Amino acid sequence: MFSSVLSACVCGIESVPVHVEADISDGLPVMNMVGYLASEVKEAQDRVRSAMRNTGIRLPVKRITVNLWPADIRKAGSAFDLPIASAILGALGMVPADRLVNVLIAGELSLHGEVNPVNGILAVAAGAREWKCDCCIVPKQNAREAAAVPGLTVIGVQTLAEVIAYLNDETALQPEYVNPEELITEGEAEGGMDYADIIGQEAVKRAAEVAVSGRHNLLLIGPPGTGKTMIAKRIPTILPRLSMEESLEITKIYSVCGLLQKEDGLIRKRPFRSPHHTVTMNALAGGGRIPRPGEISLAHLGVLFLDEVPEFSKPALEILRQPMEERVIHIARNRGNYTFPADFMLAAAMNPCRCGFYPDMEKCSCNTAEIKRYLGKISGPLLDRMDICAEVPGMEYERLTDRRKGESSAAIRERVSIAHEIQRRRYEGTPFRYNAELTPAAIGRYCTLGKKEEAFLAAVFEKLDMSMRGCHRVLRVARTIADLDGSNRILTKHLSEAVMYRMGDRKFWH
Amino acid sequence: MERTEYVAYGEPAYPEKLKKIHARPPGLYVRGKLPDPEAPAVAIVGARMCSAYGRSKAREFGRVLAANGVQIISGLARGIDGCAQEGALEAKGRTFAVLGCGVDICYPRENYRLYEQLIREGGVISEYPDGEQPVNWHFPARNRIISGLADLVLVIEAKEKSGSLITADLALEQGKDVFALPGRVTDPLSMGCNRLIAQGAGIALRPEELLEGLGIPFGKSDGKSKKMKIPLEKNEVSVYACLDLVPKSVDEIMAVTALPIQEVFQILLSLQLKECIEEAAKGKFVRRDFPV
Repeated sequence: MFSSVLSACVCGIESVPVHVEADISDGLPVMNMVGYLASEVKEAQDRVRSAMRNTGIRLPVKRITVNLWPADIRKAGSAFDLPIASAILGALGMVPADRLVNVLIAGELSLHGEVNPVNGILAVAAGAREWKCDCCIVPKQNAREAAAVPGLTVIGVQTLAEVIAYLNDETALQPEYVNPEELITEGEAEGGMDYADIIGQEAVKRAAEVAVSGRHNLLLIGPPGTGKTMIAKRIPTILPRLSMEESLEITKIYSVCGLLQKEDGLIRKRPFRSPHHTVTMNALAGGGRIPRPGEISLAHLGVLFLDEVPEFSKPALEILRQPMEERVIHIARNRGNYTFPADFMLAAAMNPCRCGFYPDMEKCSCNTAEIKRYLGKISGPLLDRMDICAEVPGMEYERLTDRRKGESSAAIRERVSIAHEIQRRRYEGTPFRYNAELTPAAIGRYCTLGKKEEAFLAAVFEKLDMSMRGCHRVLRVARTIADLDGSNRILTKHLSEAVMYRMGDRKFWH
Repeated sequence: MERTEYVAYGEPAYPEKLKKIHARPPGLYVRGKLPDPEAPAVAIVGARMCSAYGRSKAREFGRVLAANGVQIISGLARGIDGCAQEGALEAKGRTFAVLGCGVDICYPRENYRLYEQLIREGGVISEYPDGEQPVNWHFPARNRIISGLADLVLVIEAKEKSGSLITADLALEQGKDVFALPGRVTDPLSMGCNRLIAQGAGIALRPEELLEGLGIPFGKSDGKSKKMKIPLEKNEVSVYACLDLVPKSVDEIMAVTALPIQEVFQILLSLQLKECIEEAAKGKFVRRDFPV
C-alpha cells in the first residue's frame, strides 16, 4: 500500500514543499528511509516506531519504505516525524487516503506519542497557503504562530492519537484562530520604555527623532554613562507601529531562528538588536553550514544598535555596508544561496576617545595619536552611511535631580508617522522610500533650494570646510527636517539644523 | 622640490645666537630661510593636547607678535606650537620651526599644510640630516635650539611634567626671559605655567607686555584683537553671552538661554559663520579669540 503526505522544509526563511511517501510491501521487517536526509531526519524512524507502538498501533511484519522528495534538497529539522507517521498510517489504511490530500503536516514526535513544537512554523504555514492547502496540522504549541497566516485552517494537535482520531473524523478539533489586528494592538506596551524617562538630553532626543523620521543612520558620541544606550533602546518606541505584513515578515525570521516566545504567535514590537562587540562576521550577517539569519536580519524593520562601535572587528563592521545599501543580505554556501531580509536602521554609539572624556581636558588622559587611532577604527565608508551624528553630553547633578518629565514617545511617534507619510507620498513610484535613501542625482530633484538657501549653504560649505559628500548628507537630513516641519521647501533653519548633525571634528575623521 | 641646505658652525650664516649656547649644534639643516639675526624672536611653546583656551591664546600671541615684526620660533608640534605658527602666518609674519627629525620629514603629518607654508614663508630647521626619523629623544634636544634662537620664551599651556618646561629651563640657562600664560589653578593644563610664574617667570597677560619686554613700541595691532563690531541679533547675543572658553553642549546652552532647540541650532551656526564661536569638539562650543 502506498500513501503520500505533504510537509515542508525550511530553507533560509522560506519553505519548500516536501512530499513524504510511505510504501508497505512484503519483505524483511525493516524501515528504510531515503531522500537525502540529515541525521535528525534519519533518526525519525525510531521515534515514529516507538510513538506508534505507544499509541497502540502495531506495525505489521512487513518492509516499510519511506521516501522524501524532491530528493535533491537536503531535509533537515525535526518537523518530519509527524508527516512520516501519518504517511505510514495512510499506507496501513488506518487513516483514509482522501483525508491526506491538500493537508500539510509538520511536527516532532516524542517516544510516547506526543507532538512537540518545532521551529519555522510560520514559514511552513505561509508555504501551505501558497501551495493551496486547505488545512495545516501543526503542534499545538505552534498553532497560534501558524494561525497568523490569514486564510488558512490551522489544527493544533497534542498527540499522535489525536491526529488519527481527527483524520478519521472521530473527534472534531477546533481550528486555531487569532485576530491579527488584535494581536498587533495587544503588543502595544513597549516594555515600559518611553522617551519621557530620559531627563534632559534634548538635543540628542531631537537627533533621534530626525534620524527615525528620514530613516537616517545615527551615531551617538559621548562619555561613558551619559545615556547613549538608554536613548538608542527607546528608538523603537518612536518608530511607527508595525503593519500586519511587517509583523509577519519579522515573525518568519524569528520563527526560523527559534526565537519566538512560546504562545506568542506574532512579533508585535519592532526589534531592537544590540549584539556584543565580540560578535563575529557570521553571527552579524547570518551564516553557518546551513545558513541562519544573523543579527542584521533579526533587526529587520527595527533597530540594529552597535554599542562601542570602535571595539567591533573591522570585517564585522565592513559586512554591514552592502546590506545597508540593498536592504537584504545574500549568503552563499555550498548548499545554495540564501537571501535574508536586512532592512534595519543602524544606531551606533561610541566614546569620543579611549578613556571616554575627550574634549574634557581635565579628565581625558589620551594624547592626539591615541584619539586618532581610536576614531580611526571606524572606516570612512561606514561613516559615510551615518547621516546624523549627535553628541551625548555629560550632565550636572542639578539637572539629574530635575524630575520634570520630557516629551513622551507617543507624541514623538505621531510626528514621525506624519513625516513618513509625506515621504511615502513623495516617493510613490520611485525606488526610494525614505530621505536617507536618496542618491546624489535624486537629491538634486527632491532637495531643491531657493536662492537665499543656496547662498547660505555655499557660505557654510566654504566656512566649515565641508566635502561634497558631507553636503549631500546635509541636504538629505535637511529634507527630513523640513518634512517634520511640514514644509515643502527647505528653509535656512532646516539647513542650519542639518549642518549641526554633520560629522564632527574633521581633524580626526578625514 | 625644495633643497635642504646645510649651514655649518663657522659659516657666516650660522645664527649668532646659537654660538653662545651650551651644546650648540655643529650645523643646521634648513629648508626655507634662517631667522633674521637683526629682528627680535620669540619662542612660543606648549602642550600638544591643549584646551580651546590655549589654542586661541597661542594663535593670538603668534598673530600680534608677528604683526609687530617679531619672528615666532616653535616646533611645528600639534596643539600650541602649530597654533602659534598659524597665527604668525595669518598676520603675514615670519615664523620658523625647529624639528626633531630631518627637515625633509613633516612630523606630525597632519601639519603638512603648515609645514609647506613654513618652507615658503619662513623656515624649517633641524640639526638632524635628511631622512632622520622623529624618535622621542630628539625632541628634548631640539628644545635647546628653539630657546637658543629666541630672545624670549613664552609658555602657553603646560602640565606639571611637560617638554615645554624643559624649554623654559633651557631658556633660563641660556639667559633668556621666560613668560608664561596664567590659567586657573584647577586646570591641569595650566599647572606648569602657573608654577613658572610662581618661580618668577613673566606673566603674559597680553601680547603688548611681551613687546614691551623686548623693547618694541607697540604699534601695529593685528586688526583682529581690537574689539570688532559684529552686528549680532538679540538671541545671538544671549547665546554668545553664555559661551566662554570652556566647551559647552547644546543642552547647556538651551538650559541657560531657554530658547527652543531649533533656534539654538540656527544661532550656533550663524555665530560660527560670523566667526564668533567655534565647535571645539562634536557638539561642544567655545568662543573664539576671547578678548583680554
